[in-house]
Parts: sequence; structure tokens; C-alpha cells
Amino acid sequence: MKALEGLIVVLAMSVPFIAIKSADLTTYIYWSIVSAIYLAYIAMSRW
Amino acid sequence: MLMLIALLVYAVIGTAIAILAKRRVISDEDYFVAGRNVSGIVAALTYAATTYSAFMMVGLVGLTYISGVGALGFELYYLVGTLLLLSYYAPKIWKLGKENGFVTPGDLIASRYGKTTAKILALLVSIALIPYTSIQFVSISFLLGNSMSFEAGVVLSAVIIALWALLGGLRSVAWTDAVFGIFMLSMAVAAVFCAFSMNPTPGDFSKLGELLYVPNSFWTPVTFISYTLPWFFFALTNPQVVQRVFIPRDERSLRKMVILFGFFGLVYTILVTLLGLQLRLLTESGAFPKITNRDLVTPTFLSLIPEWLGVLIALSIFAAAITTANSIVLTLSSMFTRDLLRKRSVLAGRIFVVAITAAVAVFAIQKPNYIVDLAVMSSTILLCQLPLILGIFHFKKGGSLAAILTLIAGFFTAIALYYTKATLGIPISVWVLLVSFAVFFIAAILEKRFKP
Repeated sequence: MKALEGLIVVLAMSVPFIAIKSADLTTYIYWSIVSAIYLAYIAMSRW
Repeated sequence: MLMLIALLVYAVIGTAIAILAKRRVISDEDYFVAGRNVSGIVAALTYAATTYSAFMMVGLVGLTYISGVGALGFELYYLVGTLLLLSYYAPKIWKLGKENGFVTPGDLIASRYGKTTAKILALLVSIALIPYTSIQFVSISFLLGNSMSFEAGVVLSAVIIALWALLGGLRSVAWTDAVFGIFMLSMAVAAVFCAFSMNPTPGDFSKLGELLYVPNSFWTPVTFISYTLPWFFFALTNPQVVQRVFIPRDERSLRKMVILFGFFGLVYTILVTLLGLQLRLLTESGAFPKITNRDLVTPTFLSLIPEWLGVLIALSIFAAAITTANSIVLTLSSMFTRDLLRKRSVLAGRIFVVAITAAVAVFAIQKPNYIVDLAVMSSTILLCQLPLILGIFHFKKGGSLAAILTLIAGFFTAIALYYTKATLGIPISVWVLLVSFAVFFIAAILEKRFKP
């Protein structure tokens, strides 16, 4: 389960290398939001 | 002059906090892990201040300035990796530590792989971390260049580091980390506001072109992996942070430590990289000189802003360097005392604090290479422990021989490839992981087969 969670996080963080190519702050905002969502998930989930 | 006064005030405040935090230190458990009685908030702040060093406001600002948003991705990969690893392993490590009286990461390793493995680990870790710690001294010297000589900066740093660690061990270090961690975050906010105020068009990032996406001419996939991989496992392979998992007073405090650290890390990373991007935007607008040496981006910025603010931000970087360095020095001291000498002596720990600080200072005076490269090399070397640590929780096979061979093979792979560059285009960190895991599993099978 944790391995799957890790895989999902790594894949989500890798998206800018494949799918984002715009010369604005899209990549910056995307990475910040993914990290913030994962932090919120860690804070709310049971360990 | 203003900088010297600020340094004096900083040293007095920090020393007062360290004296306040100092309680009667009876055992090495009191000295090295604060009697396992640290609150979640203080544990989170010391974890953050230990992790986020001068590398952030000097190294990462410069890296973002030179390479763009890939630097944010690199640092946030570290953060999510740490959250992933801590949410799974920290409760297990904390419980093992409490039940078995572990004080050092070497105690954890020795419980499965024997005392000889812990001794070898202590030696390898010190070889990896002395250059990393020296980075903190070098960063300080860049910043204090106008106020004192390079050597004087190194000596000043060494005295503060040794003094606070000597006074009350981890409790002193944790309290000073907590106070100065908040100061570091506040000054990062001030730096970003200041950089934005210098730019007439602060939101016009489109001028930065390829710096706003990945891959670009700097962040190729191979470069990104070679920077990111060692840091992804930082929470398990860097002893100064592993040791911090032992310190929360209960499981609730441990959980609070991880979550608050994550919040601190996210905010700090966003601020620092935003500063790097904003300074690059200022360069493109002609309001900030073009810098080619990335370690000089922050010092140049500080020289252009109001003196009092520049001094406060420089002081926060100084504090970041000190909080990281004294944590590492204390951890290395605990590993030398308990793992290498097999002693449980506070006096020996204090002697090692002085000796290790002196060794780091001597290394720093040689003025080692680029800050980021050194930081990554240290973390790459430390990756050789990963099979051993995962083995404790996941693999039944693998004993003392497999562990020792793994450490030696992984360590020499890192060193050999770093100097020869014969990597065949594959990041050194990937080689180290491949070699370490291969040696661990092959040696574990042979160990079991030929066991008398």
C-alpha cells in the first residue's frame, strides 16, 4: 500500500517533465500544489 | 560593523537559550537524545533547522537563479520523499529506539548487523558528513566577507557550534534550532518581499523562458535524477535526522514533528526558490547584475538591499548554517562515542564534539568546491546504508558480513565514480544504489549458504 502511495507521488511529481511546457509559472504552481496535497494527506491519514 | 554587532547579539541570545535549556545531564541518553522527552513542536523545528541549512538561502537560491524551476522540483522531491519515508518508518524507528534504548543510528544498525558494522558505519558517515558540514562554514565565509576574514569566520562558527553542543547536548541544540528556525523562515519572507519590491514588473515571469519548465538545458532527466535521488532517501540515510526520530516524547509528538516539519519545509522551499526566480527576473530587467557563480547570487543581493535588512537576512543564513552544523557534530560525536568506542560517556561525547568541530573547521579552511555539489556528494555516499536500513524492516536475509560488504562496496563506488567520472551517463547515485543492493543480496545469499 505504501509502495503504491510512493509510486503515485513520484509519478505525480514527474508530470512537468512530460506534460508541462509553458513559459509561465504553471510548473512552479503544479509542484507546489502536489506537495501541499501530499502534506495534507499525510496529516489527515492514519499511519 | 553592524554585522559584527548582530553576530554578537546572536551569539549572546543563542548562548542564553542553550544555558536555559541546559539541565542536569546524567546519562549519554540525556546528552545525545534529550532524554527522549522533546515536544512535537520543538522536535519539528529542530528537524527542520537541522535539515534546512545555509544550502537553502545560498545554494538553492543560486541554483534557482541559474537553472530555474527545476530547482524547486528537486527540493520538493526531497520533501515528499521525506514525508513518505517518515510516515511509514518513523513510528517503527521511534518504537524500536524507545524499547531498546537506541541513541544513535548505529545502535539501530548494530541490533541487526552487529557492532562491527556500526563501527564501520560511524567511520563512513564521518567521511561523508565532514565535507557536508564544512559547506556551512564556507557559506558563512561568503556572507561575512566584508566583516571579517575567511579564517576568522570559520573560527567564529566553530566556537559557537562547539559551545552550544557542549552546554547541554541535544536539548541545547534543539532549543536554539527551534528559535532560529522561526527566525530563518521570517527572514526568507522578508527577502522575498524585498526582491519583489525592487522589481517594477515582479509578476512578468515570461521573460525567463526555458527557466520556467523542465527539462531545459540545465535540468536534463539525468541531471535531475542525479540531484534528486540521494535526497529522496535523506530521512533514512542521514544520521543527524534519523537520530531526531528518537527524541519525541510520545507517538503524538512524533506525528506532530513530521507534519509541522512538512509545513515548514514546503513554505521555506517555496520562498527560497521564489527569491531565486525573482532575482533572475531582476537580472533580465537590468536591475540586478548577471551572476555566473551561483554561490554569489545571495551575497550580491544582500549587498544591494538596505544594510539593516541585509544584516538580518545574512544573520538568518548564519543561523541556518550553525543549526545544521551543530546537529551533525553532535550526532557524529554520539556515533564516535557509542558506536566506535562502545562507551556511554558524556565526557567522551563532549571531547568528540570539540575534536569533530576542529576537523570540520580545518576542512572548511581548504575552501572546498561548489556548495550544491558537495552536499549532493555527501548524500550520495550515505546511500550505501539504504539496503541495511530497509533490511531491518523488510528483508529476513542479510547479516553482519552482507552489511559490511555493502557499506564498503557502496562507499567506494561513490568515491571512485565521483573522481573518475566513468559513469556511462548514469547518475552516480543510481550506481551506488545498484551496487549496494546487489552486494547486499548476493552476500546475504552466500552468507546463508556457507553459514557453519
